[in-house]
Amino acid sequence: MAQAVKEGKLLILGITQEQHPDRCRLLAQWKGFHWPILHDPINIMGAPVVPILVAIDEQGIVRDTKPRLATIETTFIRPAFTDATSSDEPPRLTPFLSPGQAHPDFDILHASAEKENLPRVWRALADALALWGGEKRVSAAIDAYTQASKLDPKDAVTLFRLGVCYRRRYDSVQRQAGDFQAAINLWSRAVNLDPNQYIWRRRVQQYGPRLDKPYSFYDWVNEAERVIAARGEKPVPLAVRPGGAEFAYPVKEFPAQARARSPDSEGKINRDKHGLIRAEVTVVPQGVRPGRATRIHVVLRPDAKQKAHWNNEAEPMRLWIDAPGGWQIDEPLLTWKAGKIAVTEEERSLDFEVKAPANAKGRIELRAYALYNVCDGGGRCWFLRLDIPIELQVREN
Amino acid sequence: MGKAIAALLGCILAVPALAEGYAPKVGERHAEFTLPDIQTGKPVSLSDFRGKKILLIQFASW
Repeated sequence: MAQAVKEGKLLILGITQEQHPDRCRLLAQWKGFHWPILHDPINIMGAPVVPILVAIDEQGIVRDTKPRLATIETTFIRPAFTDATSSDEPPRLTPFLSPGQAHPDFDILHASAEKENLPRVWRALADALALWGGEKRVSAAIDAYTQASKLDPKDAVTLFRLGVCYRRRYDSVQRQAGDFQAAINLWSRAVNLDPNQYIWRRRVQQYGPRLDKPYSFYDWVNEAERVIAARGEKPVPLAVRPGGAEFAYPVKEFPAQARARSPDSEGKINRDKHGLIRAEVTVVPQGVRPGRATRIHVVLRPDAKQKAHWNNEAEPMRLWIDAPGGWQIDEPLLTWKAGKIAVTEEERSLDFEVKAPANAKGRIELRAYALYNVCDGGGRCWFLRLDIPIELQVREN
Repeated sequence: MGKAIAALLGCILAVPALAEGYAPKVGERHAEFTLPDIQTGKPVSLSDFRGKKILLIQFASW
């Protein structure tokens, strides 16, 4: 097969079904994939699983839906396919954009959606915005999917794609509070409506607890970057680096709690009253079942309006989590390892897991706090504490 | 090129049976689609490759 590709007798065309295309670019760089790879973050192809291989001949006719790489030379590459199917044009999975067209006409699509006010028309507009609107139109895509969902609340496809857009906005400069949680909740709802959707399920598991993971999602990234750099190349930069949850490996049992002591058990450290640092919490999944685990993401961001920034020259930032009775935490004390630069402004994401007791019910609150060294725009620096209440809702089995 | 193909094969550990939803049929034209190229962001259509034999692979880097 390699020779056929080299000689131009076979073209490999890839479609990646993941949220972040730059991660696939890094994979392609690492593995030396030189064929075109397209990005389908909203799964407009309708692929219920990956990988899927399909052999398509020169006329666009499907010749094999389960080609075997060991025999593809004799079953597909060498034969000359002369029988033709009907001359009817095939259906278009992306009808809002024709081959050769640079971008959809969003105005026409929007006018059509407003006029017809049907869920499929709003979704068509949203799909076009999601695939071709870029970052600046992600809120418009969210609005359009939301309209579609209001008209057809049981449309799981719309819920999934709406979640993709919320996560995209979370990863952009247009982020709004709650975007990540909204994405998780929508993906969870979509999977509940259609549990056979492998790709949708993976989106939740990517950020979820180790007890629910099938494998580590992005454990290859560090090795890829190391190998590429050793070749003398610059690795593809990742706009959003995978976090702890995305590197984590699955486990069969909830790990024993790491031993640690609360660094400020008496609450003596001054509180961050001016909000120099803001915290955002996302719980994956948001509803935790009795006896099951959930992964909690805490992101801490310096307040740009006050020109707040981290002071990395003193003790490192720490996050402490108190669990109520019966609840288990894998790591109650997390420490952020800052680099060597004395002053930085990055957002800091820490995640950990909690396991609910078998008799858990209702709503409970974890008490957490962060300790950190922070300075404001006037050069005044403090060692402060931010209390972070984390609400968990126990789902019934 | 051979190593790259081997790397791709290594990434595809198992090819599950096609389930409902995406359902290309042998003997019929594959549905047309246009999606952005991950390198350039520009639209690329299946029909751009008419005249070539294609192995279409849907996958993810995870």
